[in-house]
Amino acid sequence: MEIDLTTIGTGLTAIGAGLAIGLAAVGTGLAQGRIGAAGAGVIAEKPEALGTMILLIAIPETMVILGFAVAAMLLLLGGE
Amino acid sequence: MNLEMIPVEIVGLKTNLQAVIRIIRQMGCMHIEELTDLPEVSARPLSLDRDTLRQQEELSLLVARVGGLLDALGGIHQKPVISLTGNYLAEARAGVEELMPKVKALTSQRERLESELTSLPRYEATLRKLLPIIPSSVREPGNRSVGILVNREHMDILDAIGKRVVDLTQGRAEVVASDVDVSTRAMLIVFPEQFTNQIEALLGREDISRLRLPAELGDGSPDVVLAALYYRMASIPEQIKEINRELASLSAQWREKLAVWRAVLQDEIEASRILPRFGETDLTFVLAGWVPAKEIERVEMALRENVGNEVFIQKLKMTPEMKKRAPVILQNPRLAKPFESLVKLLALPRYGHIDPTRLMAFFLPIFFGMILGDVGYGILALALSLGFLRRFKEGVLRDILIVLAMGAGWSILFGFLYGEAFGTLGEYIGLHALWFDRTSPDHVLGLLIMTVAVGAVHVTLGLILGVWEAIKDKSRNHLLERGGMLVGLIGLFFMVGVLTDFLPQGFMSFAIAIVIVGIVLLSMSLGCLGIVMGPIEFITLVGNVLSYLRIAAIGLASVYLAKVANEVAGIAGNVIVGAILAILIHALNLVLGMFSPMIHSLRLHYVEFFRKFYEGGGRPYEPFRSRM
Repeated sequence: MEIDLTTIGTGLTAIGAGLAIGLAAVGTGLAQGRIGAAGAGVIAEKPEALGTMILLIAIPETMVILGFAVAAMLLLLGGE
Repeated sequence: MNLEMIPVEIVGLKTNLQAVIRIIRQMGCMHIEELTDLPEVSARPLSLDRDTLRQQEELSLLVARVGGLLDALGGIHQKPVISLTGNYLAEARAGVEELMPKVKALTSQRERLESELTSLPRYEATLRKLLPIIPSSVREPGNRSVGILVNREHMDILDAIGKRVVDLTQGRAEVVASDVDVSTRAMLIVFPEQFTNQIEALLGREDISRLRLPAELGDGSPDVVLAALYYRMASIPEQIKEINRELASLSAQWREKLAVWRAVLQDEIEASRILPRFGETDLTFVLAGWVPAKEIERVEMALRENVGNEVFIQKLKMTPEMKKRAPVILQNPRLAKPFESLVKLLALPRYGHIDPTRLMAFFLPIFFGMILGDVGYGILALALSLGFLRRFKEGVLRDILIVLAMGAGWSILFGFLYGEAFGTLGEYIGLHALWFDRTSPDHVLGLLIMTVAVGAVHVTLGLILGVWEAIKDKSRNHLLERGGMLVGLIGLFFMVGVLTDFLPQGFMSFAIAIVIVGIVLLSMSLGCLGIVMGPIEFITLVGNVLSYLRIAAIGLASVYLAKVANEVAGIAGNVIVGAILAILIHALNLVLGMFSPMIHSLRLHYVEFFRKFYEGGGRPYEPFRSRM
């Protein structure tokens, strides 16, 4: 049986892209979960801290955006 | 933009204290400081005499009583319009004295009736169980009856009691029993009246729990009592209604007056609470605070005209320490005003520093539009936000709805540029992308580059503002940090220019040199750790620019969800099922499309943009003014 290396390469690129965004999303989710739980407690005690809490919860999102950037680069530029 | 404030000190004879307080309150533009917080002003804190303290306590008590009456009579829903007489305090006292006993009597009677109405059904259940077993002897004149309730676990006691009663009355008593519920059994003893004392004594000795009925039902036989109970159950709601009518009539007569008294008295209390912030010498009083520069002349003139030369106002020198304490008033054009709430959500800007409201008002709706970018969703979001705006006349929610409406407007515009209406449905009405077709893989790279370019511009603007702030504050550290980032970022732009063949290759060395200079400057601002932290901070800065990729990423997620909705409708096999599924998914996408772009646009401002220049922690301007 002849192995088509190009097809395997395309598949591996897609898996790599999936891992890049998936693992980044897991990391972001874990971080946001913890920050969110603490943040809910803070807002219950101090409603005026809402803005700061949005900021703190939003910080780990950069990870998943960077994951998206890597995935997009793999998919869009991977074949070049 | 925040308004210029002037620190002032007002000094006068103590005899003019009340007049000055009245004038400043009328002017309503002076933010009064705690004198102890201003070392520039030397005077001991004003001590309140016993009469003032007693008057404060009296006012607080009166406000509490007026508030209690308003709660009992039902609050007022519109602004009271009646005017006050000069002697409103005495009037309020007399009014409360007159009204309080009436309202108290009516409300306590209503409470008693309501509690009776709740308890009567319980007696009804027991009496109804007894009814079928009531012997006819109960109605004979000269006979009395007593009901007894016993737990089923102690059934033997009932038998013993029955026997003792029959013995005691020489067989002239009649005893019947019936189950009330699974755990309780009731017994009715009918006996001649002359044995009442002996029977009562027997039941008392044995510690038997009697069936005690409310006094209003009388002490007749169970069937008579049950009839009385039904009568009570029917008449109590009428009595409650009558009481409510009386309270409503009192409310119509009094509540407007009460509301005005409460507002005026609260105002008085607030005015007296400001006194401990004042200072004094033996003969004079001193107060200090902040007045907006444009109001200072008006305050000076009012004091001069009303009190004369015995009181003078002096402008204090603005020291760097005082500048840190100055209260902040944001002043922005009408269109940018709603964004003040979003800025304050993070923190009020410090006095003398950049108020980013106008910048936010420019960029945030554009980012929102770039993310949502759909004519259909944009029109729906605009209609929803304008619809809800009618319900909210003021407050943060109204501001957010206005921001949402602006974002929806930009969404419609970007919808035309992306050629989207409910995702791919736009194609069917001849809508074609004028700029980027987000559904086409060929355009995704261009879209990503565009969003990074937007990020580069936004972050660079933030850094330029940061450098400007650092120069203004003469802060070497901030200048090195923000300047280093700016220089490094510019170097990075040159590198990208060379890599994309936009600039000749010869620029590469120059670009690398600029990046290194930037990182060195940034490292210098971080002290000893700079050699490690400098490059890390620079990478974080690159991360900040890349963070704007979310504009494309979230937009793409929204487009593909809309595409799924349209395709599900096609493959459902049934037009109605397909349409319902499509509408549900589009509705979900619309909700996400209104929420997500707002949160992410906010985040881009709070985290990526503001952190380059924003100095939060300002004190809100709270002028001493009357509520009336």
